[in-house]
Amino acid sequence: MKTTTSPRFFRAAALLAATLALSACASQPPACGSPTTKNLNAAVDDVKSSLRGGCIAHFDRFYDDLLRIAEGDPKPGNKRVFSEFLVWSSDEGLLSQRQAKDYYNRYFNVKFMSLAGDYNNCSHTCPRRDRVLLEMERELGDKERGLLKVSLDNEGYYRADELFQEVELVLEATCTACQAGR
Amino acid sequence: MNVFVARADHPIATQLISAAARISLFSFLIAFIVSNAAHAGTEAPTIRLFPTTVVEDLRQTSSVAKEMETGLQEVIGRLDQQQQLYQESKCDGAENDPGCQRLAKQLGATYLDMLAIMEERLPDMEHTVNNTRLSLEKRLRSELGNKMTSWTLQETLLGGNPRGEPKAAGPSLRGRSGMRLSERFKQYYQLVASSSSKTDQSLAVLASDIYLDMDETSALIARTREEIARATLIEQLNQSFGTITPEMMEVVGGVKSILFGDEGTQVQIAGPPPGSIEKAYRSPLEN
Repeated sequence: MKTTTSPRFFRAAALLAATLALSACASQPPACGSPTTKNLNAAVDDVKSSLRGGCIAHFDRFYDDLLRIAEGDPKPGNKRVFSEFLVWSSDEGLLSQRQAKDYYNRYFNVKFMSLAGDYNNCSHTCPRRDRVLLEMERELGDKERGLLKVSLDNEGYYRADELFQEVELVLEATCTACQAGR
Repeated sequence: MNVFVARADHPIATQLISAAARISLFSFLIAFIVSNAAHAGTEAPTIRLFPTTVVEDLRQTSSVAKEMETGLQEVIGRLDQQQQLYQESKCDGAENDPGCQRLAKQLGATYLDMLAIMEERLPDMEHTVNNTRLSLEKRLRSELGNKMTSWTLQETLLGGNPRGEPKAAGPSLRGRSGMRLSERFKQYYQLVASSSSKTDQSLAVLASDIYLDMDETSALIARTREEIARATLIEQLNQSFGTITPEMMEVVGGVKSILFGDEGTQVQIAGPPPGSIEKAYRSPLEN
């Protein structure tokens, strides 16, 4: 007796296989776990691997993990590790050049990214002075972590702290003068 | 009744002398900086916060304030002596003693002299302080408010020293009232003398500092002028009774501490912990 397999059977089998494949994918998302090593370079490699594996949505957490690991072994050379990691992220298209700069400078540069702006102080900065200063204060906290606790750059951190106080004073005077001129 | 002070927490004599001393010191400092910069022929600042007009205003304010300080210092010296005599004569608790009453009247008369000096000098002082304040206000608004963004302001403040190299001592002058005057002059002199270059960043901070102080001083003078007439009237009435109040002692003590300083009020500023001696890394991502 001759048995024949109908085309309908093949279509049903293909559909079933595709469904199974899709459900397998759905049940195994990328792990995106935090690096477990205490070595910064090894942790960076882990993070890079996770990011390549589709964990870009977890970038902020990974960056925080790396900072935490670096705090456990603070040294001036850590700045370079972070810089190279961010340059890599930008080259890989995970971050824009601007985002990479923001991530780096917020933690490792004396200058405050919170002060970025294209309009003059009287018209733009003064009306939102309190918010600007609050953002600067938060950024100073990040600089304390990046400059002081991760990189042991005490001078850089104290310069940033001093700059914060100078900006506070100069903005107070400038905004008072702007206000008086209205 | 408190007859010797305009306000219990802020005697007018104290307010005024404090204002006069601050104006004089700031004016001295600015005049010194500008004249030094001119003589040294250092690089021209790109922001013009202290043009000649502002410096002239400051000089004039300085001169008026100095006259006032000198006049008050003599009266305060007398008050001090009279107060000492009053205490040594054990007049506390013996207010009905005719000798003590006479001393209290003398003390009150000297206090009236002080009020008279204030009344005479204050209009000039108010005028020059306001001139200086308005000049600085205009420069700050133009140079830092309208010509700069927050980012360029930050770069100006950092100047050529973004990496935290030791810079000349910053001219942060606010909040030093109460320090011995001669010590303050000495510190300001050292501050200016040790600053080899007068850069934009220090001038911006200095201008802001002086402007805010002038703003406060201006309000203080206006308030003081309002109080003088009342204080004079009350003291004239008090002359009839010849009493001395603890507040009067307080005024004299407050004035002395401002003019002659308080040994215990040295401003201590903690230094940063020792920094890394390794050469700083510069990332290609840095702005």
